[in-house]
Amino acid sequence: MVFSDLFFLFVFLPAVAICYLLAAWLDKSVLSKATSPESGLRTSFTARNSVLVVFSLIFYAWGEPVYVFLMLACVFLTYLSGRIIGAGGKYRKPGLVFGLICNIGILSIFKYASMLVQTLNHFGLDVPDPKISLPIGISFYVFQSISYLVDIYRGDSPVQKHFLRLLLYISMFPQLIAGPIVRYGRVAEELSNRHVSAQDMAEGMQRFLLGLGKKVILANQFSELATQFMGGFSESTATTAGAWIGVIGFSLQIYFDFSGYSDMAIGIGRCLGFHFNENFNHPYICDSITDFWRRWHISLCSFFRDYVYIPMGGNRRHQVLNICVVWFLTGLWHGADWTFAMWGLYFAAVVLFEKYVYLKIKPHIWKPFQHIYALMIIIIGRVLFYFDDLPTVGQFYRTLFGGAPSSDFVAEAAVLNNFWLWVVGIVCCLPLIDWSKQLLGKITGVDTAANNSITTAFQIVASIAVLVLSVALLVGATNNAFIYTRF
Amino acid sequence: MKKYIVYITVMVAVIAAFVVVLNFFPRSEYSELERRELTKRPEFSLEALKSGDYTKGISSWYSDTEPFRDEFMTLSMQVRAMRALQIGAEEEQVNYIAAEPDPELASSPSSVSPVGSNSEESVPPTLVGQGGEQSEAFEELVPEQDELTQDERAKITNNGIFIVGKAPNARAMMAYKGKAGGTSYARVVNTYQEKFTDVNIYCMVIPTAVEYYCPAKARSATLPESATIDTLYAHLLPSVRKVYLLPVMAAHKDEPIYLRTDHHWSPLGAFYAAQEFCRVARVHVPELSEFDEQVTHRFVGSMYGFSRDISIKQSPEDFIYYTPKDVTYTATYTVYDIDSAFQVIGEHRPRQGEFFHHFKDGSGLAYCTFMGGDTKIAKVETSTRNGRRVLILKDSFGNALPGYLFGSFEEVHVVDGRYFTKNMVDYVSQNGITDIVFANNVFKAYGGGRQYLRFLTQRGSGIYTPRPQPKDTTAQAEPDTTVAAPTDTLAVETKNGTVFAADSLNSETNHNEQTEKTE
Repeated sequence: MVFSDLFFLFVFLPAVAICYLLAAWLDKSVLSKATSPESGLRTSFTARNSVLVVFSLIFYAWGEPVYVFLMLACVFLTYLSGRIIGAGGKYRKPGLVFGLICNIGILSIFKYASMLVQTLNHFGLDVPDPKISLPIGISFYVFQSISYLVDIYRGDSPVQKHFLRLLLYISMFPQLIAGPIVRYGRVAEELSNRHVSAQDMAEGMQRFLLGLGKKVILANQFSELATQFMGGFSESTATTAGAWIGVIGFSLQIYFDFSGYSDMAIGIGRCLGFHFNENFNHPYICDSITDFWRRWHISLCSFFRDYVYIPMGGNRRHQVLNICVVWFLTGLWHGADWTFAMWGLYFAAVVLFEKYVYLKIKPHIWKPFQHIYALMIIIIGRVLFYFDDLPTVGQFYRTLFGGAPSSDFVAEAAVLNNFWLWVVGIVCCLPLIDWSKQLLGKITGVDTAANNSITTAFQIVASIAVLVLSVALLVGATNNAFIYTRF
Repeated sequence: MKKYIVYITVMVAVIAAFVVVLNFFPRSEYSELERRELTKRPEFSLEALKSGDYTKGISSWYSDTEPFRDEFMTLSMQVRAMRALQIGAEEEQVNYIAAEPDPELASSPSSVSPVGSNSEESVPPTLVGQGGEQSEAFEELVPEQDELTQDERAKITNNGIFIVGKAPNARAMMAYKGKAGGTSYARVVNTYQEKFTDVNIYCMVIPTAVEYYCPAKARSATLPESATIDTLYAHLLPSVRKVYLLPVMAAHKDEPIYLRTDHHWSPLGAFYAAQEFCRVARVHVPELSEFDEQVTHRFVGSMYGFSRDISIKQSPEDFIYYTPKDVTYTATYTVYDIDSAFQVIGEHRPRQGEFFHHFKDGSGLAYCTFMGGDTKIAKVETSTRNGRRVLILKDSFGNALPGYLFGSFEEVHVVDGRYFTKNMVDYVSQNGITDIVFANNVFKAYGGGRQYLRFLTQRGSGIYTPRPQPKDTTAQAEPDTTVAAPTDTLAVETKNGTVFAADSLNSETNHNEQTEKTE
């Protein structure tokens, strides 16, 4: 199931909401008991957590009716390793190693086996292709499991003794299939005790609708343009303008698609009382690639920083090697294909260039050029991200840089007929909400009655508009899948 | 605090309203807008659940059959229409270029000579009528290249449909992406010629609107249909009689020979084609004065659903068709039932019925006027006595032809390439057919038309026999699905290589289905 599916929006979510409210009542009136006189009444979360787990499994099984058992197995092995680590002393290390081997093993088999076999065959060996299809979201839940194991091994968080809570942490449907990769420490507390304030609820709903709008109103439209000019790319009919339109359209699509998904996940989490980490911070306003990667898919980058880069030595020893390894892995994480590895190494090269050259001279460069430079690097990198075979990548680059007729009617039409889409899309990459809040704050004063009523009125109108439009645009939508669910 | 409560209250009320409407109001079953039956709720089975098809089916059924679907869809089209930059569009000039065989293409050997064929007996393209009826030289048939200039604008939708002009006169057409090709279709026709030695075999490949009304600046985004047609005709056996429509249609392109809002030609366009066919067949050539004019007003055809462009909806046109005056005729139909995958699942007894079904003004189904659709065999007995009986093997373009032939043939039989369960050899001999004409549009011809070969060998006895399982059908029967889905009338490979397929109009029970395939 995906978030931008009418069935999810109007059957699944309402069902979750109703069952969750019933469970909350059950928790409070039946299951809660006073544990000790001084701590007072301890609220149970068993019913609520169970409801979430059941719905999360349905959510996952909706798209992967068989692989849901793989995910359960993964969680169980992680739980087991966690308990071994929890036994302390000499068991800690073997427990961690066991857990890591299980998780990385599952990921390797289900994600990378085909790639490995194809690569071996490419070098003349004849290994049969196991033809394993990629389970949705495996990269996300395996990484969450790893984060849990490492955090408890390091003693940053306590071992989770309740299987149900660990299952909830890993399988929770908002972040299950496309992130953000939630660190265990971030929600450990909230798994057993959480509170939803009116602010959480209202902001959660807004966040969800913001994400829905990004996905349905913007990303789905840009995907048409990306597909038009990049899907089935053929050098013989391509034009330079068309190639640029395609790759810029794809860059916008992937941003709105993925950040929209993260917004929806964070929003649902807020409504349920979870505070997931942020995943995006207006990446396209970056002024360097180093800056970009602090703003784009933050949960993944910080995962690699904390669990690979720093343990390898960070900037203390062989930093260049560390950077290359981290980016190679980041690339491969996105897909079992050598173009993804190249995409990662491309960014390794850029980051190294920035470290030794660009960041030193950056203060002397005119600001707009900094942004243009960063955006060009990102957009050019997207080509590697889109195509999975190198010859096409080469042809596309040739087309981008002048090896084709400059423009034609189709390219012209793509700009003119989608003119306002381009404008809205590009403007929405800017931190508009923050700016308007600041502006309104200056005019009316912060937290005054006027400020509150204007904000609330605007939020209500915008939310309803997004909802109505999304429902309209989702009727008969064909190209609706989220890009990041396949990683 | 209060502001959050207000927001939550309002939004929960709005969302609850949506939930009630979308879940408890009657679900849509048929889309007027797209003219198709909507997805059915999937049957539950453990198999389907395991493979994920069941849950997928539920999701797509739910979103496809949304209550007030067409209203929501209209809203979404209006919103999508707002994306375009409208300023200054009025002054933009569009040059229509009538499609004549491109001089460059005609002279370039690769487009005319057999492409990728090792056959040495290839014939040069025959551009003249058949049977010694040496018509004027090709050049004289074609009017001088004149460009219609209109103060109108052109655009291309993101799924590759050209929209020319603006409401209320917008015209939509599908880009043609076929390369020269068409040779396998020629082989099919040749096979019929070899099989039926004492029957006249005709080949009529019908060009589509984009060949005549393509805006000049959009020419780079479409390919000339003439290249396919010429290559195809060059591969026909000399004994096959060629009904070569390109110059005929070009001569009349200032008249409304194609529907603006539908992917079909207009009945008038079919009339000129029928005249040409009768000329080649050397039977009575009908004149327009022999017919009464009938009109369905405010017709908006299939291109609205395909392009999802609001300007098409705002450009209704008159659907004008012609019924014969002085001939008496009776039409007998053998109607097929088909399932949602366009497989024949049942056959009715032959029954008499109207040939022309008049649709009321505003109906989007007016192209079903002829015989009421595709899923049937039609047999029309006329008062004409000349010993000639014609069988039309056609797609939905061909539906518009038979109405003009009642004064020229004793019997007119119409068989659709997708729905025929009998054996063709038996059918031809039992009915004393003297002429067989292949009348398909160029998209279909490019697709190969190999299903016609199956008709020659299938064992149908006139009694309904279930079709082989879908698996077998894909393996042997529909080898050309990569280009044209078995149900297509128009299948376009868009720029991105996805197949955009427009289906023809189907029977009155099924109305007409249209499928948009994206891979």
